[in-house]
Amino acid sequence: MSDTQQANPTDAPRRFLFPRWINYLLPLAAVAVVGGAFYVPTLFALGGSPVATSIGYQPQQPVPYSHALHVGKLGMDCRYCHNTVERTAFAPLPATQTCMNCHTNIRTDSKLLQPLRDSWVTGKPVQWVKVHDLPDYVYFNHSAHVNHGVGCVECHGRIDRMDVVHQDKPLSMGWCLECHREPEKHLRPRDQITNMDWKPAGDAQSALASGLELKKSYGVHDQSYMISCYTCHR
Amino acid sequence: MNSTHQQNRGPEYWRSLEHLADTPEMREVISKEFPGYDASEMVNGSRRRFLKLAGASMALAGVTLTGCRRWPEEKLAPYSTNPRGRQPGVPEQYATAYEFAGVAMPLLVTSFDGRPIKIEGNPSHPFSWTVRDKLGSADAFAQASVLDLYDPQRSRNIVDRTGEAEKRKEEPTWTDFAGFVAKHFADLKGKGEGFAILSEASASPSVTDMRKRLMAVFPQARWYEYEPISGDNELEGAKLAFGKPVRTRLHLEKASRVVLLDADVLGYHPAHVRYAADWAERRRSADDGEMSRVYIAETTYTITGGVADVRLPVNPSRLYVLAREIASKLGVSGILGQEQLSDAETKFVDAAVADLKGANGAAVVAAGSTMPPIGHALVHAINEKLGAVGKTVTLHEDPAGDRPSHVQAIADLTNDMKSGRVTSLVIIGGNPAYDSPADLDFANALAKVPMSIRLGLYEDETSALCKWHLPRAHYLEAWGDARAWDGSAGIVQPLILPLYGGRSTIELLALLTNDTLINGYDIVRRTWQQFLPKDTFERDIRRAIEAGVQNGTEFPVAKVTAKAQDFPPAQPAPEGFFLRFTPDSHTYDGRFANNGWLQETPDPLTKLVWDNAAYISKKDADTLGVETGDIIRIVLGGNYGYDIAAYVLPGQPAGVITLPLGYGRTAAGHIGDRLGFQTYQLRSSKGFDVASGATVAKASGSYQLVATQDHHIIDDIGYKGREKRSGGKGESGRVIHDVAFEEYRKDPHAALGGGRKVPLQLFNPPHTFVDTHAWGMAIDMNACIGCNACAVACQAENNIPIVGKHEANNHRAMNWLRIDRYFKGEPDDPDPDVVFQPMMCQHCENAPCEQVCPVAATMHDSEGLNTMVYNRCIGTRYCSNNCPYKVRRFNYLDYHSQDPRHEWAAPYNNIPDAQQLEQVDKIKRMVFNPEVTVRMRGVMEKCTYCVQRIHRTTIAARANGEDVKDGDIVTACQQACPTQAIVFGNLNEADSKVVHLHKNNRAYGVLAEELNTRPRTKYLAKVRNPAGDEATKGEHQA
Repeated sequence: MSDTQQANPTDAPRRFLFPRWINYLLPLAAVAVVGGAFYVPTLFALGGSPVATSIGYQPQQPVPYSHALHVGKLGMDCRYCHNTVERTAFAPLPATQTCMNCHTNIRTDSKLLQPLRDSWVTGKPVQWVKVHDLPDYVYFNHSAHVNHGVGCVECHGRIDRMDVVHQDKPLSMGWCLECHREPEKHLRPRDQITNMDWKPAGDAQSALASGLELKKSYGVHDQSYMISCYTCHR
Repeated sequence: MNSTHQQNRGPEYWRSLEHLADTPEMREVISKEFPGYDASEMVNGSRRRFLKLAGASMALAGVTLTGCRRWPEEKLAPYSTNPRGRQPGVPEQYATAYEFAGVAMPLLVTSFDGRPIKIEGNPSHPFSWTVRDKLGSADAFAQASVLDLYDPQRSRNIVDRTGEAEKRKEEPTWTDFAGFVAKHFADLKGKGEGFAILSEASASPSVTDMRKRLMAVFPQARWYEYEPISGDNELEGAKLAFGKPVRTRLHLEKASRVVLLDADVLGYHPAHVRYAADWAERRRSADDGEMSRVYIAETTYTITGGVADVRLPVNPSRLYVLAREIASKLGVSGILGQEQLSDAETKFVDAAVADLKGANGAAVVAAGSTMPPIGHALVHAINEKLGAVGKTVTLHEDPAGDRPSHVQAIADLTNDMKSGRVTSLVIIGGNPAYDSPADLDFANALAKVPMSIRLGLYEDETSALCKWHLPRAHYLEAWGDARAWDGSAGIVQPLILPLYGGRSTIELLALLTNDTLINGYDIVRRTWQQFLPKDTFERDIRRAIEAGVQNGTEFPVAKVTAKAQDFPPAQPAPEGFFLRFTPDSHTYDGRFANNGWLQETPDPLTKLVWDNAAYISKKDADTLGVETGDIIRIVLGGNYGYDIAAYVLPGQPAGVITLPLGYGRTAAGHIGDRLGFQTYQLRSSKGFDVASGATVAKASGSYQLVATQDHHIIDDIGYKGREKRSGGKGESGRVIHDVAFEEYRKDPHAALGGGRKVPLQLFNPPHTFVDTHAWGMAIDMNACIGCNACAVACQAENNIPIVGKHEANNHRAMNWLRIDRYFKGEPDDPDPDVVFQPMMCQHCENAPCEQVCPVAATMHDSEGLNTMVYNRCIGTRYCSNNCPYKVRRFNYLDYHSQDPRHEWAAPYNNIPDAQQLEQVDKIKRMVFNPEVTVRMRGVMEKCTYCVQRIHRTTIAARANGEDVKDGDIVTACQQACPTQAIVFGNLNEADSKVVHLHKNNRAYGVLAEELNTRPRTKYLAKVRNPAGDEATKGEHQA
């Protein structure tokens, strides 16, 4: 190696070297790494927290309708009001007429029912606030679930105990996929769909076995279909 | 044609003359995925600066916490009383009809929660069903008419310009107008002198009935009917031949030999949907060794010419000459004198005559609007001679046909107006101030009329000149009735209350006549008492409304025979160019000018969007030194010097300039104003369908025409390169296959020309499809007529936005389904062949797009759909770059909220997910299909095989524990196709239709063998049936 011909390292074009002030950034980078170790998990935890997924979202409704009273105490079936849930994608809210079937006779002077009576007289709808609100790019179909053994309680929680309806489950994609990956853990006989108290009989193992049997009898799609994007998004 | 390997020669099938010439500019366009897009120009700086900006915007996005918001509160509003059988969120379908230029288009309209959102043909009506599966097809105009319903610029208010300006009411109501009517028409009762009504064509039984009532109240009133596009020559010809008007109905499914003299039976004929279905029956049968042969002599390139087997471009004066020659060779009597024919014409006539003779009555001749009446009479005589009447053509009574021609009517009326004989004029629909012949000067005559009342959908050119303007109800808003081409009557049923308080024609007439009934529904019921028996009327009218058609109301067959008469030679045409006026594929006669869907659906032949132009032949263009986009000056009769942009259309006959009507509107609305050229200015009452003796010269300047023909070209230059690298094995990528019928009959494998059949797969396919369903599609190019019905159906079904002329010029039109039109032939060829190829996502099993997406936003599902997940897409556009079919579309801007007429996009300030709530106009929003996501800026999108329809059908079937049956799932394009060229189904079902089609000898996957993409869509090669030995043989037999 001939030193005379060896270029002096200091002659190397300056632009290939980091400027000296970069050195001061090193401790800053260390702080970022340590901080990031806390920041990133926190971010994910917050992102998945009930606050972010709106669990407990409980808007005020124009009429303080109590499911606890009507369903829990009086034992009305879900499908008396949400009548086309087995046939349509959308589980409809009852027409004012449905309410008035009873309320033309019961509590006819209640102030709380005034919006209902107004609607009945004017023909204008009662404006209920949507509680379970999925993003617009999700196409959830009630009939597809209800007809294949997914009970109301799976997504809506104990509606029969709610005085004012709130969102009980995260309704996030990860939560949906839990069931789409292993539907057998969440299926029930078709006649128990609206039963809020239903529990599979027997121990965990026999419950799973009956779940698998139900899955087969319903002809639930393979997992590959269940987790395809177009199954829910389009 | 073996010139494929010549130097500087583009592909065998070419999209444009530039494509054929293989110019460097064209190579540039093809090699770039996003032509005209220069990243450095957009950022105006270095890559480093771009990264800085990108980083900064990311940081800002974090600072403003755009993710930390709950989405807006949504309200649910159930009915007060639920209508019986009503299921919220479930689309419902109602039969109705659209009266278009006096002829009903029977429809089935889908309504979602009270909003009509999608228009389809009525499958139970013989004039919209598609013969085999009865899917019900509607054409592009009818389908796009739903957008007019939600046009925010439709007329909303009554305008009163009577009396002194100061005393006028700000917003007059219908009651004010009724008060005026009571006063104004009181004196006219029982007389009616000076009262004239100018109406658009209508054969509606209720309008006819109300017209009779009006004439009873005002006996001396005059009723005129005017349509700018009319088949009056045909009507006049029938009067010449039979002494009375008859309506001609072709039966193309029975005709093995068809000779058309400028008859665009698959394009703008009022019965074209059914004709196309019938025609396709005799084309599809090529697989069974039988096929019709269609001859056409035409004066411009039409879609009918595009699919004809033998095409002869001629100038309009030759049509009658050809008819005379055919007639004389067939032995029709009364042909006086001799004609001089060119070689090409002689060849055409000889082949046609030989075929007509040999067809044994299974032949038909038809003529179009450019044929003079005497020519139509001659065609009737020819059909009689051929024994076609009663078989391939039937003649029907035409009760409404006994009227002066439309040109005559408007000329008479204008004369009366000018001379002051018209004191009160009611104009119903139409737009005569814009579209009447220029020599009549209707607009000035209208200004002379003391009292003019206009009922119109828009406050347009005509309304501006009238004393009263009344908003008209859209046909989806009002009761009415109409008659289809065969005369069968159907009820027009409204699907929504009038959005802007409009009223229908019959309601206005009821108001004028002070009728006891004022409601459209009551008037229709009164009229229909003539069709339905009294004792079961309630039941029967319900059935008629539900079915959309009443059987037994067809026009009866006319018992007529052609009178013996002489057919003298035609007067020689004057020197100079012929001007041939045609309807425009975007605006028809101008009425759809404000309809963005139609504006942006490329014309079938020229692929122009947002404009019309003067179509000129290559030969004339070369002589004049004109290229597409250059301005030419047309001088007609010394009076006009009209400047218009030229479009060089291969196959356009020399000496003929085609002028599509319907552009140059000044009061159409925001979308349609000041677009294209007002070609009505060249149209006179003497030269209504065709004008002759024009001089054409190149003028200075040029005009930006946007034709999408060179957009999204499938790159075969790349294949040429690959061919070189891999040693020139096999053919370069072939997108189109076609075959002559004779060859195909001899060798069923001839269609694909024995292309390379070596599988290229080195490794196992990436996906195995074991699901019960494997969706696939087959498209028969032999049946496709390029009519655009599928393209508009796709736009309506999938919430596809329009982008505007400027963005379309940047290759950014969003249509998921485009119809590629290829020419085949030399540039100077007077008659290049045409192939139409609908092109959309092929759902490749081995999809190139999926392999390059960095965020897995496009991937396969278990049923083989190539899924596109909008909320994953980050807009790298790698997928689009890697798609060999060029079918992916990127939302460069938020097109739904953008003004399509702005050259540069309006600034985009609002937060992204607010757009669907606030930025899109409230009325415009009503047309959206709620089952399809409305895409926002920055995401890629493409054909989904109508996944929403797949799910709707499968979920409903599975709820009953069944599986979908073949034919249950119908995609929007398949549904709309009048010829059933598109078939969708399950490839894992052994006996499904699509499986049979995929096994057809003509079936091939575009670029499947070259790129091994394993597309799920297969195309069936086109079969042509050119005249050859067989035709001559027929002559010998005869």
